[in-house]
Amino acid sequence: MALLEGQGLSMAFGGLLALRGVDIAVEERQVVGLLGPNGSGKTTLFNILSGLLHPTAGEIWFGGTRVTNLRPWQISRLGIGRTFQIARPFVHSTVFDNVLVGVTFRSRDHVSRGEDRRREAERLLATVGLAGKASALAHTLSLGERKRLELAMALSTRPTLLLLDELASGLSPKGREEVVRFYGQLKERGLTIFAIEHSFRVLARVADRLLVLDQGAIVADGRPEQVLGSPRVVTAYLGEEE
Amino acid sequence: MSSHTFVQALLSGILLGCFYAVMALGFSMILGVTRALNLAHGDLIILGGYLGYWLWSGSGLHPLLLVPVAGAALLPLALLCQWLFQRLPEPKELSSLMLTFGLSLLLQNFMLGLWRGEYRIIASEPLTASVRVGSLVLNQGRLIVAAAALILVAALYLGLTRTRWGRAVRATSLDREAAALLGINVDEATRTTFLLAFGLSGGAGVLFATLHYLYPAGGIEVTLLAIVLTIWAGAGRLRSVLLASILLGVIETLTLTWSGPRWRELVVALMLLGSLLARSGGLARSRSR
Amino acid sequence: MPRRGWIGTSLVAAALLLFPPLSGFHPYYLYLVSTALLFGTLATSWNLLAYAGQISFGHAAFFGLGGYTAALVSLSGLSPWLALALGGAVGASGAAAIGMASARLSGASLALGTLAYTEIWRGIAHNWTAVSGGGAGLIGIPPLTPLPWLPLDLARSRTGSYYLALAFLLLVIAVFWGILRSRLGLAFAAVREEEERASLLGVHPLPWKVLAFALSGFFSGLAGGLYVNMVRVVEPDLIFSHYFSILPLVMATFGGLGTLLGPALAALALYLASELLLHPYIPAFHQLPYALALIVVALYLPGGLAGLLPSPSPLPKRGEGETRHGAA
Repeated sequence: MALLEGQGLSMAFGGLLALRGVDIAVEERQVVGLLGPNGSGKTTLFNILSGLLHPTAGEIWFGGTRVTNLRPWQISRLGIGRTFQIARPFVHSTVFDNVLVGVTFRSRDHVSRGEDRRREAERLLATVGLAGKASALAHTLSLGERKRLELAMALSTRPTLLLLDELASGLSPKGREEVVRFYGQLKERGLTIFAIEHSFRVLARVADRLLVLDQGAIVADGRPEQVLGSPRVVTAYLGEEE
Repeated sequence: MSSHTFVQALLSGILLGCFYAVMALGFSMILGVTRALNLAHGDLIILGGYLGYWLWSGSGLHPLLLVPVAGAALLPLALLCQWLFQRLPEPKELSSLMLTFGLSLLLQNFMLGLWRGEYRIIASEPLTASVRVGSLVLNQGRLIVAAAALILVAALYLGLTRTRWGRAVRATSLDREAAALLGINVDEATRTTFLLAFGLSGGAGVLFATLHYLYPAGGIEVTLLAIVLTIWAGAGRLRSVLLASILLGVIETLTLTWSGPRWRELVVALMLLGSLLARSGGLARSRSR
Repeated sequence: MPRRGWIGTSLVAAALLLFPPLSGFHPYYLYLVSTALLFGTLATSWNLLAYAGQISFGHAAFFGLGGYTAALVSLSGLSPWLALALGGAVGASGAAAIGMASARLSGASLALGTLAYTEIWRGIAHNWTAVSGGGAGLIGIPPLTPLPWLPLDLARSRTGSYYLALAFLLLVIAVFWGILRSRLGLAFAAVREEEERASLLGVHPLPWKVLAFALSGFFSGLAGGLYVNMVRVVEPDLIFSHYFSILPLVMATFGGLGTLLGPALAALALYLASELLLHPYIPAFHQLPYALALIVVALYLPGGLAGLLPSPSPLPKRGEGETRHGAA
């Protein structure tokens, strides 16, 4: 069984069907990319997987546990972390406190000393290259720094599965190169990654498998070179490639 | 409860409901147009009541004649409040609560200063008599108040549905930005709404004072009542407010027959908390649901 | 977040506050300062709740519950000290109960809910005559008894209540100070800033919000109990008056939300100014400063109360992200 499995996931907002019976499976230690035009339901899928939305129909299994209607903090404690496309830090708190929240509250029965937690938060900030910004308020960060903070926050709960929402978008070519390296590092650390990316070039280099979502349904699933060459995907994307 | 008392309570409840509608409409209209919650609403009604009482005790005129006078007296306040409400920062629901909590305290102090803490009521002779309709006994005062209330609501309804400015007010209340894009003068519509809502509240105060004792801190109960009715009916919806008011009036009359009048404020507060919990969304957004 | 300089300031303020009784203040002024200190406690506890993102328009409920409990317990013949403690406990429970409503209500709806909650308790106090004495309330509440292990005669006259009020204020400030440095403070801030994001990081918001309500209600209940002990009577319209909801709100917002000492200092300044400067000359209008302060704060507080609340929409504002994008 795959680490993350979704079966027949549907989501209706009023009369609008954002997802129509989507099946997904993310194998352990893989990087699975999720592609699709705007409005195809990618972020809705992430919101369902992280517990912010409850699906209208369908089931989700994570590590053999049924997590379908669990609340966000329960899912987070089971080991799913996520980032947002537009970073959502606690803007009036320090960068350090932003990371400390996840380190402190990731587990109900997690007993640790305050000192250990602080050290771990410092390590996390160093990992994403924000060690020098620890005491800055989050709203003073630049876009690139916010993305790093977003990633550090997602890692702060020690997830086994990371849902990454457009980590590379809006970044310079140099920033993108860094993101590609980061994907590699995360994979080396044994993390499983399910990632939305707009850029084919980034995905082609990091992903083991690609899923393509169009109008709320999976239209392609396979190895990157197969999927990116498929005419269906090209049609769905015409004009979308940067 | 015999069927006779039931019919009696039902009728009294409908009369009471008409009165409630007039008390709630001002709150609902302002919420509709500005998304501001006016916690001083009840204090405005009490203020209208005090003005009515003051004029009545000085002149001995029929209280109904004083309804428009008290209404007109609150119009300058309407312009002042509109000016203040325009300056509220977002989110308006919360900042308006703060502003009007302050206005409420201000009005209460003002009334306390002018009329001290004494309880007042307009005990006009023609209003206290009873009328017999068949075997039913109705209080003439309540009947007159309900009739006056219905006339006010009907006039407002016609104004809002049949006139140009009425359409402007309704469009503004539905979607302010869209209305502005359609070339509607939303500022004027807002001003009209404030003037109408405050005038209505001032007049309703005189009606209130013929039925209930006035005291400076008595406004909160009226405010809570208006909020409950607005939650039930949706902001700025006239007919729904009337229906919700009659429903509440009937419920109240039936339960009071059973429990006695002293529990009323408690019941209104419980209904408010219950209604909030039941809908748990923004108050001004009731229309879209 | 408070700066370290505040700690020194607070020590100096505390030292100054010890003076009035020693230097032979007139009992009336001592009573005024004691009441000001009680409002300081109330305003700080309001601020503690606001730190967790919950805006209350109903602190009079917690204050009144504490007052009624203290009155009933001490009238039943038990120790007035126990009565005060139980007042705090009941204030905390009552606050936790309405705090449960924060699972479904936030912002303006929660504010209205807490307002209604006060009215509910006022109604109960009015109608449950057998226990509460109805509209007439309860009178003849016994004074505090001397404590054998306390060298000062705290229990007698106005001096006792003065020191107790001071102790309560220092206690709530100390507890708030501790919270700001602990996991609690971190959870409160996260829930306040963005509840949804906090929940994705393993924070279950509701228990923290209820805890904030309970803590705030505890200190408000203590203050209510002491207040009743000072005035020796308790009536529904007096103690469940919105006065006790408006004043902490004004004082905390005016003194600076999220600051440790601002609300208490604002409470002392506003209350004493209104009682000493306005009350003797225009008694009917001595509440005017609070009303005006509230209006000014509502209109001109930077970002309004919203700066303190989780963003109203579940999605971040697009404009902000794009500006950042352009700048980067």
